Amino acid sequence: MARAATTSDVFNAIAEPQRREILALLRAGERPVTDLAEQLGMTQPGASKHLRVLREVGLVRDRKAGKQRLYGLDARKLRAVHEWTGGFEKFWNERFDRLDAYVQGLKQARKGK
Amino acid sequence: MAATGRDAPMQSGTADREIVISRVIDAPRDLVFEVFTEVRHLSQWWGPEGFTTTTRAFEFRVGGEWVFVMHGPEGTDYQEWISWTEIVPPERIALLHGESRGDPNAFESVLTFAPDGVATRIEMRTVFPTKELRDEVVEKYRAIEGGQQTLSKLAAYVAGIAQRGAES
Repeated sequence: MARAATTSDVFNAIAEPQRREILALLRAGERPVTDLAEQLGMTQPGASKHLRVLREVGLVRDRKAGKQRLYGLDARKLRAVHEWTGGFEKFWNERFDRLDAYVQGLKQARKGK
Repeated sequence: MAATGRDAPMQSGTADREIVISRVIDAPRDLVFEVFTEVRHLSQWWGPEGFTTTTRAFEFRVGGEWVFVMHGPEGTDYQEWISWTEIVPPERIALLHGESRGDPNAFESVLTFAPDGVATRIEMRTVFPTKELRDEVVEKYRAIEGGQQTLSKLAAYVAGIAQRGAES
């Protein structure tokens, strides 16, 4: 099975911990790449590479502000991630709730035997 | 969230497509395992609230199948097919889960049952092989759940984050 390219898939883009860190930092507002690199303790080219991936999947936008370029979060694409994990996980957690209740009932019923 | 360990190795190709759900049930392992093995038990808890299940075939063995329909409260029917690929009483069950036999989109879940004091810890690990399949499963579970309320709350939350982010 071919994997989806990192550069086209939000799920792959956020599988990388440092890219998730960048998104967390951008929650507070726009930042230039120098700032992000410093915060993450990485080189500027390293941070730029991550930003490029995030921009290509639509999670990050950039704009020129005077002499520098500012990067900002576009969280709309994260919705798919929330829906995916939320939907499946929530469904199974509720199913386990029902299983739990059912097993407790069985346990009580068998105690009497 | 998907189970990506903080130190997940970079070469792990499934981390972003894997979901691990675990739950501790206050009952002995043999009993917890048992309710996964008999249709009279399964039909009591498998379907969501307000759903009923109709079983057409059930044979709990490796290679055996559970073919059933979940009837939703609004009259929608969901065809379900499960085939067991591994059964190790009382500790492990692996199964393929799809809509019918031969469903190319069936995905595998592995359930493990571990003693946890006098209770039992169930862990279910599901790996989705492709993005397309994952999307399809999302759609299905969302449809079954009809989680409109959850989704609208989520939409509001995401919109809030987006507003605090960059202005175009």
